Amino acid sequence: MTGTSTSEFPVALLPDDILAALLVLAKQVSKRDRLAFRGHDSALQKVFRNLIHEFPSATMEPFVFSDSGPEPYSPVLSESISRLQLSGLVGRENPDYEVLFLRQSAEQYFDQELRHRLSKQDLGQLQQLAQRFLQLVEG
Amino acid sequence: METIAEPQNLEDRVESLVEWLYEGVKPVIPRGSKVINDALLGNQYFTKAEVAVIDSPLIQRLKRIRQTGLVYQVFPSATHTRFEHCLGACTLAERSLRAIQDRFSVEYPDKQFPATTDRLRGNLAHLRMAALLHDVGHGLCSHSSEQIYEALSDLQEFRRKPAYAKNAPGEILSYLIVKSKAFQRWFQDVVVGGCHAAIDLDEVAEMILGKHADQDLFFLAQIISSPYDADKLDYIARDSYYCGLALTVDLARFYGMISTTEYEEKRILALRSYVPLEQIVFSKMTLFGSVYHHPKVKCLDAMLRSLIRHVVENPDQCRLHVRGKLIGFAEPVEYLYPTDEEFFNQLDGFGDEFVKKMLGRFRRRDLFVRCLEMSRRTITNWDDYHRKKLVDLSDPTADLHNVETEIHRRLPAAVKTQCNLGEVLMSVPGVPKIKGDFAYIQASPEGPVEPVEDFFPLEQWTEAYAHNKWRSFIYAPREHATFVRDSAISVLNDNLGVKIDRSKSDQACHI
Repeated sequence: MTGTSTSEFPVALLPDDILAALLVLAKQVSKRDRLAFRGHDSALQKVFRNLIHEFPSATMEPFVFSDSGPEPYSPVLSESISRLQLSGLVGRENPDYEVLFLRQSAEQYFDQELRHRLSKQDLGQLQQLAQRFLQLVEG
Repeated sequence: METIAEPQNLEDRVESLVEWLYEGVKPVIPRGSKVINDALLGNQYFTKAEVAVIDSPLIQRLKRIRQTGLVYQVFPSATHTRFEHCLGACTLAERSLRAIQDRFSVEYPDKQFPATTDRLRGNLAHLRMAALLHDVGHGLCSHSSEQIYEALSDLQEFRRKPAYAKNAPGEILSYLIVKSKAFQRWFQDVVVGGCHAAIDLDEVAEMILGKHADQDLFFLAQIISSPYDADKLDYIARDSYYCGLALTVDLARFYGMISTTEYEEKRILALRSYVPLEQIVFSKMTLFGSVYHHPKVKCLDAMLRSLIRHVVENPDQCRLHVRGKLIGFAEPVEYLYPTDEEFFNQLDGFGDEFVKKMLGRFRRRDLFVRCLEMSRRTITNWDDYHRKKLVDLSDPTADLHNVETEIHRRLPAAVKTQCNLGEVLMSVPGVPKIKGDFAYIQASPEGPVEPVEDFFPLEQWTEAYAHNKWRSFIYAPREHATFVRDSAISVLNDNLGVKIDRSKSDQACHI
């Protein structure tokens, strides 16, 4: 992988960038070689709804949850996870694809493309969220 | 001649649209009910009140908006319209409700079914009206223009509100049209007053967004907007039928399995078996792969985007005249004024040389050609890092035009004078939305309510699509294809770090 920051086409910080940053920070907090957790879309929606409810922050504002329906549902979150799968920064494991894992490239992407685009305040908030996220997915 | 884009909010612009549509239209009370035959669903029965709505300008304009946008240029028989889809959704919504009622009476013999099934008043009347009106927010070329205007700020602001977060741009516009004072006035006069239908339009509008104030009737809103709503049941069957694809949605089995259950204080839809839903999702994936993301269809969408961008950037020379209105496509509601016919059949008086040239291409089906494919097959450094950079360009807020501009800038001077900037096009599809919202399975009335992902791996399909199907393209006129290809290869390498195997791409693009 080469991975120099070459983009001259500015793209705003996308929701899936924020999600990728949060997952990379969660891996760093966990101090493990690999971040993997069980979570179908429906389970992750609940985790993130609780997370955002506990720690309201400007960083997570794009993840708007619909106020109708029997359970919390954010299409932006669902699409962000799919986009991270499409771009290959996260993967899902056989056989039932319930286990979501972070690929190594996500860390490189975070270091070279995302870290410098996040303010100190954003990073602080995301670290706090990452810590709680780990507790929620592992609890 | 009146121009549109004055400072108004989205609701006000919708109000102006509906006033314009109904201007000079005399209220006509239909003589009675109607039977309308449909190629797919056979005889469909509509009440006098529904006929009044069907015959009104709001629904009649849908006859001139093709259901699958520009797909007919690739699948010639796909000329079906939003009009017949809305009638079909209305019929299938009733079939869903009646199937649920049948099963309810067997599974809960001692309980009263919560919904009423009178077609003139009560829940069925509201359900059918919501299905009939659910797509009135569609404009020029349906989803082809929705992809363009969804990034405009008016709609983005709406979608940041929890009330609209899960709704597509077209659904939000349909909701606002139904809520508009002008439509409410006409409806009150003709449908409520003239046809004696007791229908509350506010309830209809909420159902279009997938909501219902009565928690025990929430499932009615899901028949209009959910992973197995009447809209999908109709368009999957209809689009595949008219494209000539032998996809099957076994409606009989679906109706045999659809039920309701109480969950999280709402009565929701639940299927007794996941098989019908699997069939729906599979058909939808096939439609994405074969039709909606077909390379030529994406080319046509990109050509329309380029044409509209040019109109937006050159408002003085390029505004479109539609029955007394001047349209500049600068805000979402403007895409609802012209129908497909009114846009593509402008032979004179619309636009400058570029607009006329592009309209001529659409009329002759003189499409641009693929000159570069970006996919697993052609990218030599197909790793996650570089994939992410390409996938980012599929976001509605990403400006593909930056990339197109840079590719054009690097063309040899002699070519650049011949090839307009608007003729270098990039298309980067996103992830197919195969599910959206939650779908639930409950194998028996007393059994647990479980998300569909527990039964079959929906997420696996995204993985499979990412690895095998995802492709993006650069398009250009045939005579400039090789120059644009070379320029694009250098831009992708220098600016995104993406390296293309030219010979593999040439093979894929038939260059």
